[in-house]
Amino acid sequence: MGDLNAEMDGVIEAARRCLVEIDNGRGNGAGTIWHPDGLILTNAHVVGRRRLQVTLPDGRALQARVLAADADYDVAAVAINAGGLPTIELGDSKGLQPGEWVMAMGHPWGVTGAVTAGVVIGSGAHLPEVPQPDREWIAVSAHLRPGHSGGPLLDVHGRLVGVNTMMAGPEVGLAVPVHVIKAFLHRAVRS
Amino acid sequence: MSDVLSNLSKELVGLVEAAGRSVVRVEGRRRLSASGVVWSADGIIVTAHHVVEHEQQVGIGLADGHDVSGNLVGRDPTTDVAVLRAEATGLAVPDWAAFDGPRVGHIVLALGRPGQTVQATMGIISALGGEWRTPAGGRLEHYLQTDVVMYPGFSGGPLVSAAANGSQVLGINSSALVPGVSVAVPADSLSRVVETLLAHGRIQRGYLGVGAQPVLLPDGLAQQLGQDTGLLLVSVKADGPADKAGLLLGDIVVVMDEQPVRGMRELQSLLASDRVGTAVSVRIVRGGQAQELTVVIGERD
Repeated sequence: MGDLNAEMDGVIEAARRCLVEIDNGRGNGAGTIWHPDGLILTNAHVVGRRRLQVTLPDGRALQARVLAADADYDVAAVAINAGGLPTIELGDSKGLQPGEWVMAMGHPWGVTGAVTAGVVIGSGAHLPEVPQPDREWIAVSAHLRPGHSGGPLLDVHGRLVGVNTMMAGPEVGLAVPVHVIKAFLHRAVRS
Repeated sequence: MSDVLSNLSKELVGLVEAAGRSVVRVEGRRRLSASGVVWSADGIIVTAHHVVEHEQQVGIGLADGHDVSGNLVGRDPTTDVAVLRAEATGLAVPDWAAFDGPRVGHIVLALGRPGQTVQATMGIISALGGEWRTPAGGRLEHYLQTDVVMYPGFSGGPLVSAAANGSQVLGINSSALVPGVSVAVPADSLSRVVETLLAHGRIQRGYLGVGAQPVLLPDGLAQQLGQDTGLLLVSVKADGPADKAGLLLGDIVVVMDEQPVRGMRELQSLLASDRVGTAVSVRIVRGGQAQELTVVIGERD
């Protein structure tokens, strides 16, 4: 178990360098640095339409603007004026298996950089008892709370597999899979 | 960096894959399907009693994606177990565990198949114990409580643990045995219940042929007996087991088979199947005096 904890430390330390806090004037959410030049990924419901402030792991607080948002998929890309930022490695959200160990990061109730762990309950479309069942989700046995929204869902190697989005009942967290986010970014770039 | 975490994760996934081949979808109620586990390759499925509302045809979704129909063989509400016979052969039977492996603190997985795919959640064994009476009066060979979250549709699915040679199924999960607590029906109890249901189609229930309600005992008697309440007989069926034993309307039952009877639940748990046909002592209060009778417990139709 000591080895296990040491391994968790490494994964979480690396991921924390890419975890930001997003203040939208009403509350806070989380985001993940996607590109070193200041592209940050989060939920559409975190960015809203207000002025945004992004706080980086090194403590810098910067104004941010929304580049693209898709309310249907609840994903958004925001930009800050910064460069050389550490970015998260992307994982394989299509290959996720039920039982797989995952970790969700964010700022639940304003506690910055908090981590919760669980396993994948199931993933894909048509999961029972989820909202909008035609959409693809990753359902996770983790306690997602306000402030986790927009934060990264990580696999055992610390790679991004999803964006924490909502609860779907007690102890069920739903995340948007990273392949859905990639498709959103492609659409955003094209338009 | 070590690989402990990724190996653990791989092992969890492997357990879900292996045991998941034996997990079926049970379409036994209107709103949400639940889960069941293959008991024998020729189509016997165990599931939770409370998820099978229909008595006749029950849709069963196999792990290979095929939908077949099944019939209810029998059910035992007291242990929340139902047995179905699916029109299928060559099903994957899991390794049903003997009850000497699990320990408090062991990691376990609860599996379910409420939709097309198998789903999983993880927890640990919280408590283990010996023989236990369910609130509904059933008998389980072991008490097996976990902290796994029972998601909608997980009832009737397996509780899985790691074993030296792969996955083991410790029992089936029920969210209804004790509301709010994840208690599993262990494999050895399942074995007994399934055999009985296959042989007789039902589980015997003890029968006294009385109507009763709890009443407060007078102070003196309460002190003498060490209990505040007993069961007042408000009806006694003619020629029923209680009538034959000489019990009368107005008697207050306070002890049966040397167990205190303070309310209906205690009486019901004393009428479990294993007591049918046995003669037990009954202590009653009649006219302010305690006296002892012997009743032969009958069988409820």
